[in-house]
Amino acid sequence: MNAETKRLNGTSVSSDSAASRSIWKQLGRQKYPQLFVWIGIAYLCVFHFLPLFGILMAFKDYSVTDGIRGIFTAPWVGFRYFEEFYHDYQFGSIVRNTLALSLLKLIFTFPMPILFALMLNEVKVRWFKRTVQTVSYLPHFISWVVVYGLVVVFMSGESGMINHILMSVGIIKEPIGFLTSPNNFWGLAVGSAIWKEMGWWTIIFLAALSGIDPAQYEAAQIDGAGRLSRIWHVTLPGIKGTIVVVLILALGSLLGGGLVGSNFEQAFLLGNPLNADKSEILQTYAFRMGLAQGRYSFATAIDLMQSVISIALILGSNFAAKKTTKTGLF
Amino acid sequence: MRSKSLEDRLVDGVNYVLLIAVFIATFYPFWYLLIVSFNEGMDTALGGIYLWPRQFTVENYSTFLNDPSWIKAFGVSVARTVVGACLGLFVTSLVAYGLATKQLVLQKFYYMLFIVGMYVSGGLIPYYVILRQLHLLNTFYVYVVPTMLNLFFLIIAVSFFRELPPEMEESAKMDGANEWTVFARIILPVSKPLLATMALFLGVGQWNSWLDSAYFVQSDNLRTLTFRMIDIINKGNVPLSGPSGDYASKVAQVTPFSLQVTAMVIAVLPIVCVYPFLQKYFVKGATIGAVKG
Repeated sequence: MNAETKRLNGTSVSSDSAASRSIWKQLGRQKYPQLFVWIGIAYLCVFHFLPLFGILMAFKDYSVTDGIRGIFTAPWVGFRYFEEFYHDYQFGSIVRNTLALSLLKLIFTFPMPILFALMLNEVKVRWFKRTVQTVSYLPHFISWVVVYGLVVVFMSGESGMINHILMSVGIIKEPIGFLTSPNNFWGLAVGSAIWKEMGWWTIIFLAALSGIDPAQYEAAQIDGAGRLSRIWHVTLPGIKGTIVVVLILALGSLLGGGLVGSNFEQAFLLGNPLNADKSEILQTYAFRMGLAQGRYSFATAIDLMQSVISIALILGSNFAAKKTTKTGLF
Repeated sequence: MRSKSLEDRLVDGVNYVLLIAVFIATFYPFWYLLIVSFNEGMDTALGGIYLWPRQFTVENYSTFLNDPSWIKAFGVSVARTVVGACLGLFVTSLVAYGLATKQLVLQKFYYMLFIVGMYVSGGLIPYYVILRQLHLLNTFYVYVVPTMLNLFFLIIAVSFFRELPPEMEESAKMDGANEWTVFARIILPVSKPLLATMALFLGVGQWNSWLDSAYFVQSDNLRTLTFRMIDIINKGNVPLSGPSGDYASKVAQVTPFSLQVTAMVIAVLPIVCVYPFLQKYFVKGATIGAVKG
């Protein structure tokens, strides 16, 4: 990245110093590359920058029939929709669910790939390591819809295999309502996120692990360190930098679901009227209010609230990381 | 060889047991789907199938293939995967090629725009309003037009093109080739590893995608396979119900549950088929993705 910026700097300096006539000459010579880039910029403007103006809708009484122009012409209403949401009887539970789901996913899904990487790293039998690892990434590439289907197949009612086995062994008498009881939703979301993404995030930690100098292990061994103490004193410190970088990334996207993303997909698919008390989050509520009920301004206000919290988290986590470890992302 | 200490043995033992548990927890669900999809639906409902189909049948698949609404959803998914991946591949590499051109005027500014674009978002509702204004709602284009430029792969492609030796381009231009010819005849052919990676990832993303179908499409004709599956999973939430509804009259052995499982196998199958190729490239992809910036 640094080398790249330097190179970019170099080119712009050389073009700045050139006479304006030669800039036109240069432009003429590179009309195709310029055209190609402008195709991309046109795309950016339409799909990334233009929607930014749409944020104004949160402060306006917008009607969708007015199209894009309506964003600018609609009457201002100030913070009316924010107040409305604040006084919504679901406000408390939605904010709680959003924060709880995000934090629980961070706490429980973040350490798993590290643990899994450490475990794989201890395996000396090549084919075994490769087989376990290869299978472990597969769930990353399948759709959340399929994961939802698997949850239903294995965990629903009396017929789901897990309840069936637990009941026939005699551990439980009544089937556990994994999908129907509100109290099980957070656990279900965290568990399915770990199942789907643990193997994928292990890749980066394994890459970091392979960079540790074997001489360090030998030295530790000569000093009489056992297996566990080598893991603790050599392996873990060896990947500390990677852990911090990945943690910052996870914190930055906390409300979206952290590393494993997908808060919306989980809440939308695994959530249902029976567990709505624990599964309704800001994103699903904005979706329901906005696209399903047509309350565009109200939904934009909810979305905006989430974005503001997210930006605060990104800046905050980056700041904290710089303070504590002197590595930040920007 | 030195004999292992007690700690060594214990660590190894526990480690292997846990890893085998992870392996089973990941692999078995897929295996179970496969065997149930090849088992008679009514027989599955009796329970007790764990390792192997008991009443082998291909009825589930033939029911799936004879149901026009499934075939349509499957077709939409295939179409968006092919069109979406090709379009995304073409536009992303074209823009990246332009952006990677040496001494491009305003290069630094452009580059910054794309980086900024990657991080900003106006949220769902403004995006919806834009798509509505562009008349993309409820059309097939909503699946492939908004995804035609992938900013993450754009950045990767730019750094890839920069690494290519400049002589190739220069000699072609000396022979009188224009930028377009250089891009199509010289740059693309030598960038096969990059293009293959992008195609695979874009394709898998398209195939799995269902959010856009939920957000922006009302017409039943445009439902994707994954989106249509949500309906049947919601219905199959109470499986073991035996044959019911539309399927009962056709094939007694097929239940909504066995059909749901079959649809899931069909949704996973293409991913498993390209998996060896994905695997070849994604280690690099994951690493770049995590340390970008």
